[in-house]
Amino acid sequence: MMYVPKVAVLFGFGINCDHETAAVFDMVGGSSTRVHLNSFISGLDSLDNYDILAVPGGFSFGDHLGSGRLMGNRMRFSLRDELTKFVGAGKPIIGICNGFQVLVKTGLLPGPEGNVPDFVQRASLTLNDSGRYEDRWVTLEFNPDSNCIWTRGMTQIDCPVRHGEGKYVMPNRDKLTKLAANNQITVRYIDPENTKLEPNAVLPFPKSPNGSMMNIAGISDSTGLVFGLMPHPEAIYAQWLHPDFSRGTAPKVKSQLEWEGQGLQIFRNAVDYVISNN
Amino acid sequence: MQITRVEATPKSGKGLRDVRGDIVRRRLAADHNISMTEVRSIVGFLINSDISSEDISSRADDLFADPIIEYSTTNQTFLQSPEIFSDTPDAVISVGFKPGVTDNPGKAALDGFHTIFPEADINSDISTYISYVFYGINNQTTPEFLASTLYNSLIERAVIADTNMCQAGDWPMIEYPEKPPQVFKEPSPINLEIDDDDLIEISETGLLALNLEEMRAIQAHYRDAQTQHSRRAIGIVDDRPTDVELECLAQTWSEHCKHKIFAAKINHTDLETGEQSVVDSIFKTHIMKPTHDMQNDVDWLLSVFHDNSGVIAWDDEWSVCMKAETHNSPSALDPYGGAMTGIVGVNRDILGTGLGARPIANTDVFCFGPPDWQGDIPDNLFHPSRVLRGVHSGVRVGGNESGIPTINGAIVFDERYLGKPLVYCGTVGIMPRKLPDGRESHIKTPTAGDIVYMVGGRVGYDGIHGATFSSLELTEESPSSAVQIGDPITQKKMLDMLLEARDAGLITCITDNGAGGLSSSIGEMAEYTNGCRIDLAKVPLKQSGLSPWEILVSESQERMTVAIKEEDIAEFEALAALHEVEATAVAEFTSTGMFHVQFGEATVAYLPIEFLHDGVPQLQLESEWSPPHHEPFIPPSKTDHNQLLLDLLARPNIASKETWVRQYDHEVIAQTAVKPFVGVERDGPADAGVITPIHGNPRGLVVSCGIAPRYSDIDAGAMAAAAIDEAVRNAVCVGVDVDKIAGLDNFCWPDPIQSVKTPDGKFKLAQLVRANRELERICRAYRLPCVSGKDSMKNDYGKGLDKISIPPTLLFSLFGDHTDVRNIATSDFKHPGDKVYLVGESYDELGASEVSFMLRERDIVSGIGGNVPTLSNPDKFFKSYRSLSSAINSGIVNTAHDCSEGGLGVTLAEMCIGGRIGATIDIDGTGDCPLFSKLWGESLGRIVVTVSPDNDAKFLEAMSGSTTTYIGIVDDSDKLNISDGFDPIITMNVSDMVQSWQGTLDMSGGEL
Repeated sequence: MMYVPKVAVLFGFGINCDHETAAVFDMVGGSSTRVHLNSFISGLDSLDNYDILAVPGGFSFGDHLGSGRLMGNRMRFSLRDELTKFVGAGKPIIGICNGFQVLVKTGLLPGPEGNVPDFVQRASLTLNDSGRYEDRWVTLEFNPDSNCIWTRGMTQIDCPVRHGEGKYVMPNRDKLTKLAANNQITVRYIDPENTKLEPNAVLPFPKSPNGSMMNIAGISDSTGLVFGLMPHPEAIYAQWLHPDFSRGTAPKVKSQLEWEGQGLQIFRNAVDYVISNN
Repeated sequence: MQITRVEATPKSGKGLRDVRGDIVRRRLAADHNISMTEVRSIVGFLINSDISSEDISSRADDLFADPIIEYSTTNQTFLQSPEIFSDTPDAVISVGFKPGVTDNPGKAALDGFHTIFPEADINSDISTYISYVFYGINNQTTPEFLASTLYNSLIERAVIADTNMCQAGDWPMIEYPEKPPQVFKEPSPINLEIDDDDLIEISETGLLALNLEEMRAIQAHYRDAQTQHSRRAIGIVDDRPTDVELECLAQTWSEHCKHKIFAAKINHTDLETGEQSVVDSIFKTHIMKPTHDMQNDVDWLLSVFHDNSGVIAWDDEWSVCMKAETHNSPSALDPYGGAMTGIVGVNRDILGTGLGARPIANTDVFCFGPPDWQGDIPDNLFHPSRVLRGVHSGVRVGGNESGIPTINGAIVFDERYLGKPLVYCGTVGIMPRKLPDGRESHIKTPTAGDIVYMVGGRVGYDGIHGATFSSLELTEESPSSAVQIGDPITQKKMLDMLLEARDAGLITCITDNGAGGLSSSIGEMAEYTNGCRIDLAKVPLKQSGLSPWEILVSESQERMTVAIKEEDIAEFEALAALHEVEATAVAEFTSTGMFHVQFGEATVAYLPIEFLHDGVPQLQLESEWSPPHHEPFIPPSKTDHNQLLLDLLARPNIASKETWVRQYDHEVIAQTAVKPFVGVERDGPADAGVITPIHGNPRGLVVSCGIAPRYSDIDAGAMAAAAIDEAVRNAVCVGVDVDKIAGLDNFCWPDPIQSVKTPDGKFKLAQLVRANRELERICRAYRLPCVSGKDSMKNDYGKGLDKISIPPTLLFSLFGDHTDVRNIATSDFKHPGDKVYLVGESYDELGASEVSFMLRERDIVSGIGGNVPTLSNPDKFFKSYRSLSSAINSGIVNTAHDCSEGGLGVTLAEMCIGGRIGATIDIDGTGDCPLFSKLWGESLGRIVVTVSPDNDAKFLEAMSGSTTTYIGIVDDSDKLNISDGFDPIITMNVSDMVQSWQGTLDMSGGEL
């Protein structure tokens, strides 16, 4: 029988995309459990019991003191050893939206060279240049040279962003250049009608919804196992969730699920990765 | 304990900016036309703790500042730092909270503080402030004016440094807000053996909102020998109420909680027809009875009226529920806090339904004064643009942070909402039909002996007298304690925890703490077992010194009341601890028949449950209808219809609300199939929201609404009919199953009780009677049960001649089933060549239309009177709705959009805008009425539809028997061409229509 990877979907303290994040892993052959952060901290449950960790979107601690900060601190100070072990064991982690912010503030993304996290924050996600929280659909382009296991084979998808603090900043230009050279810039906002634009110039609003440096939508760590992004691929798990669906022009996907949307492949990639390593 | 000040401010540099400051700069430009070169911001934290300033300083970058993008400083203000603030600003304004006001960033910071300093004193506290630093202000703009746009003196304080002070380095310093100690007051007896004037005096000075008859009923209760006997036995003053009892009765009997006007016996006179009749409770007669009649015919109405929301069976496994509330008075005084508590409050109604439902969608409908209002503003109230911003921001934060998508809503403008904005917040919930332990989740199962917990937030001085306050008109002296700021994260933690408790089978009964606080929540639940005993001394408080009556009636937010079996207590408390949710046993259910309240050992209230809930005397009211007189609307003889179309598209009531609505998360939970925006550029208006709540299942739930307040100017009955018809049509446009739709009636009325301060009370009450008669007639015809509703009956500002009363307003919300969202229609025109049909027909009904109001405001016409849209044959309408819905469900309809404000002309324009495509339309034959009525009239029952030529025959067959008129074709001309027979009427570029439609309510302050 095929191995069924166990997925821990974190919740609590204002995370709010836990239900759909759990659902999409289940659709692609995983077995997900929503686990309260405190269950890991208190020892009621252990990260050892899982193959994949997902930190979903939401508003942990209301984004006060900076999005992802307080949740990141809880993980940084109370779950340090467990997370080090999890990453060291080569187990995939994804952070979506608030989850991405948490991973960046925790220091897991972009992280140091190698697979030993040092929990040092190297970048930040800050207020959108527009000053507004917005829910709007964007087009994403994936880096074909990335070693990220989550994005294998993916080229371009549409999905929504829903954030007020999604602008990726790394004021140290050398570090940003290195991030790009390492192919850790996994996914970027693009203008689908004008893909020939200078790739590093910041796209105009709203093609880039937030003014991110180098149009960064998501990054991975050096191992390609830890991945985070601001947009919500789980929100396009089905074609009927695409805004063009009623016009008959929503992108189709080849899949056994005839209604599959473009975002599901990200989660399938991680589940397949775990299966192939078991 | 000592106070440490920490400040953080954004770093500058390539690609970095001070967005918080920028928001203020752009808002001042948009709302007040004030320009300046720059605004910078500083966030401050005042930490009251036993941890030393040195230790805090050494960890400041771990908590208070993000070292990648911010600087931090400890025990000084950045303004003193020449490296970071090198130029001298023109003004600095620091804004902090008043003592006792909910400070969410402070609460979050405190949580983070304990993560970093686990050894810190448990009574540590953190308060926050923001300083805005202004550069390049013009001379006409005073710092005082700038401050007035930045804070609300009811809940916040501001410290200002003007140019001179800035130059002298005299910086504003917000200090730590020490909470003044509350004075604990022992419960005291209140003598009611006094004359009538004094009884009223007690009610008025105590903000009790009880009338003379009600005061007398209370007086009579304490004269009763039996009462006195039982009170002596329990050891409480026997012949008079305690203040706890009187407050408890006032909350429970308030208009807000008891809906006394809807329950009143009304002598109704119709001077138009000569009718004389008696209505014994509008609610029972016109709302409850029809729904109960329908309940006999269907099996899916699971729970109506008695719970916190109405529940319907959705499929075999799941049921869905919906509730809408208003939060008008608090939103008038503090738009942000009032609206936020509105949305998180109605979320709790869903959590408190049955044994607990999960909120999955929100709706927001607002009524405001005109955003560009130039006239006077009533004392103590805000300009409509500020109300709009504040209310919007409150529901945005409340909804987004709670992880509940806002999928449907509306914003309506009329100058009478200056005195009282209406803030309707609705929530849809879902729950499994059966819990793992086999209980049906929509039925509460408490028994005597169950332990009652207060869960979530603590009780504070904030939120005292909300229920009674909202039962009075707004005045300059309206109390600040009635205003609160919500805390969505505390509530989200509670919600997560309680839904786990539900699934673990721990909950026997649950309800929310809203109006009336514990007094209402425990009091209402105690009806199930016929009794309860509460110990107020056990209730956790935000600040010490609250008196027993204050603890009992405080409406402090984010609290649920939950009953647990004694054997499940340990498991319940462990779950609460895991989620870091405060849960305290404060009461138990009994079967004594008494609402028994203690403070420690002492009994402070002892009221029979029956008297508490059923003792309020029925109001006896008079209503009298005579049709209001209006100058008739006579269309101008010469009209440039092209310009009229652009002008109408720019009207706030019609214009795009995208700037505002896009800031709501409308698709969290990954279920929103039809979003608020549709079309090529995803900016066309959607008619209804559609969600697929079960992941992987295309079965949908449709949510829509209807509102038409201005029709009340002519006839409130027509207003109600129009609201219901609009809600139904909006749902039909996406293909709702018309055999499974349920409605919610939310009435907001001006005070309809005849009195010195309301000399036209009889008329306003007659409007209410007419509205409800129409509600019954239309709902019966549409087989549309009302499963929940609410009324807010004192929407006036001031008294006498200066009084501003809102137009009587019914919001009708609808939720219904959709078998498969893959067969759906949206409002945007799709493909060139698609055929355009009008379902329904136009009549000569321009009374109270948007075009009539617009032309009257411009002095082009003198009146808005005439025929208001009426619904003379609802059965016929419903038949065509059923046919159209089936056609949409069979996948043969591309586009459907209803006609409402601005009539057919605006509807067609919106369809072009959504599709960014043109159309050629002939409106000849769409109704036996003049051109003006066909084009701009708002007759009900009309939907514009497109079908591809391939499906034309099938569509016409499906619609046979319904009035369906071919009116034209979608084409690639990029123009909307409308003719009336051979007469060309309109030729307008789509891009011009987009521009007019999107400009009015943008209000974003220009380019970044």
